[in-house]
Amino acid sequence: MISTNSTGEPALRIENLDKYYGTFHALRGINLSVKRGEKIVVCGPSGSGKSTMIRCINRLEQHNGGRIVVLGTELNDDVGNIDEIRREVGMVFQHFNLFPHMTVLENCVISSMIVRKQPRAQAEATARRYLEKVRIPEQALKYPSQLSGGQQQRVAIARALCMQPQIMLFDEPTSALDPEMVSEVLDVMVTLASEGMTMICVTHEMGFARRVADRVLFMDGGEILEEAPPDEFFTSSATSAPDNSCRRCWAIDWKQRSECVTPHAFRHLHD
Amino acid sequence: MVSLLRNQKVHNALLQVLYVGSIAAMVLAGIVIARRNLADQGITSGFDFLFKSTGWDVNFSLLPATANDPYWWYFLIGIINTLFLGSVGLILATIVGTIVGLARTSSNDLARLLGRTYVDIFRNIPLILQVFFWYAIITHLPTPRSAHEAWGFLLTSRGLYIPFPNVGSAAFAAATVAVIAAIVLPAWLGRTSRLAQPIGQRHTIQFAAAAAALACSAIILALGRLPDTPLLDFPALQGLNLRGGLRIPPEFATLAIAIAIYGGSYIAEIVRGGFKSVGTGQVEAALSLGLSPWRVFTLVRLPLALRAMLPILANQYVWLMKATTMGIAVGLTDFFMIVALTINHSGQTLEAIGILMAGFLAINLSLAAVFNRINKAIALKGNQLRG
Repeated sequence: MISTNSTGEPALRIENLDKYYGTFHALRGINLSVKRGEKIVVCGPSGSGKSTMIRCINRLEQHNGGRIVVLGTELNDDVGNIDEIRREVGMVFQHFNLFPHMTVLENCVISSMIVRKQPRAQAEATARRYLEKVRIPEQALKYPSQLSGGQQQRVAIARALCMQPQIMLFDEPTSALDPEMVSEVLDVMVTLASEGMTMICVTHEMGFARRVADRVLFMDGGEILEEAPPDEFFTSSATSAPDNSCRRCWAIDWKQRSECVTPHAFRHLHD
Repeated sequence: MVSLLRNQKVHNALLQVLYVGSIAAMVLAGIVIARRNLADQGITSGFDFLFKSTGWDVNFSLLPATANDPYWWYFLIGIINTLFLGSVGLILATIVGTIVGLARTSSNDLARLLGRTYVDIFRNIPLILQVFFWYAIITHLPTPRSAHEAWGFLLTSRGLYIPFPNVGSAAFAAATVAVIAAIVLPAWLGRTSRLAQPIGQRHTIQFAAAAAALACSAIILALGRLPDTPLLDFPALQGLNLRGGLRIPPEFATLAIAIAIYGGSYIAEIVRGGFKSVGTGQVEAALSLGLSPWRVFTLVRLPLALRAMLPILANQYVWLMKATTMGIAVGLTDFFMIVALTINHSGQTLEAIGILMAGFLAINLSLAAVFNRINKAIALKGNQLRG
């Protein structure tokens, strides 16, 4: 199950990660190693711990056991380490979470100006470059709520990129979008992947997984049940899920979704 | 004819006419009856009394006042006293409310408990009771001879004595205006679209404006200084009484404290609600960008909470402004008390109450207008369909 380690420190190493919400055991002994430049897609039914896992990586959730090492820095109670990791790890959320009281441009420059101490002119130049990259340079002076959902999510991606992170985390970036806006966001993510960004994406977009993922993880019940390159993952009808019926069904169901161009049509299947 | 009455537009217009007409008739009848009753009692109505001298004193005034002054001057004194008490009360209440409100949203159990206890106690006791409570405490402070002293401040039953610059009252007023300008000007410069400079230059301009205004106030204070006196006048015991410094009368201190404590408990809830309304998503996004918790507070939580708080806060401020009328309970000559005394002495009830109502309307409508303006200036742009 453990991926082959290349030489040198991986971008991300998770060992025996445990997370509890009160008495609920949300993550059970997760092991994961991500090389630099690798793209990981995490899928699984809701409540399976996907989001919790990637939120642990930049300490939006505090883990209760095991180790997380990001870019050679261990994530622990050391505030300096947390800051260092958050500077290098960008995150895109399901609900965009743009700052509604700032323009698109201000959303993008704020962190590089304050955290990276860049002068405004330089931060703005960087921001405009990334806004161009996500194909909305003309919206720079608008406010988030004046944009469509797809545009907002692309701004959120640009905002995260402005910090020039080495790892990008995506927490269901297209789940809150209308179907016709999904592709504009996925296109940006595909471009980003082709440029060698290290990416960990929680997503239901199996077409995207097939296209860009180096590995697909299937999670349920707080565990990684299966981990394979997309070809293998989507073709083998077998699953290493334990033979208790429900989980096995889920795994097979998820694999079948990759055949579908817009998995949204299958929305009614889960929950 | 019947079909005309069944027409919706005619129908509505007719109702309106009936409504306005009946109100006008009632007002007219009221005036006619009042005039006849007043005439029967031999009271002349009209506003001539405004120019007669009052013949009684006020115990607290920011303007020079003697018993020879006319009523209109006393009304002005009353309005200024109310405005002054209101501003001091509102500022103190805001400070108290912010601290308690933040304590209530804090992750510290003890702070939350203290904040909650505070709100529970002071929000649920009638204001007038609290006014009497503070008045009892303040008037039972030691006499001037055995006053509590700390850093030149004296606490006595005759009031609170504080060190005060030795300057003329006009110079002091001008310096106060300059200090207020030092606060308001940078805020305005930061928002106005008339200055299209990039943010960096704006900060310089804001800083320069604040510095200039503060320098102005320093110069005014230096020029307005009374000759041959030290810069600061400290209160000190002389014989049986205290001399020097500025005396804050017990009545004023009572009301300022009561409004601060009572208003603070309401404002604390408004502050708490404002911070609760900020989405965790925005806070998480800011944290994930590497911003420190303090920066997340100043850049994201506070600005968003403020937008949620302002409309309710304006409402609360208008309420507290009206609460200054409690001055009459302890004998502080605020606007309401001066009107009450005027009625006793001159008998011009309707006119005096009319002036009182118009005065409060003007004060509170201006307050609301200022807040609406600020609200509009910082309102979130767009249609607010977030997420």
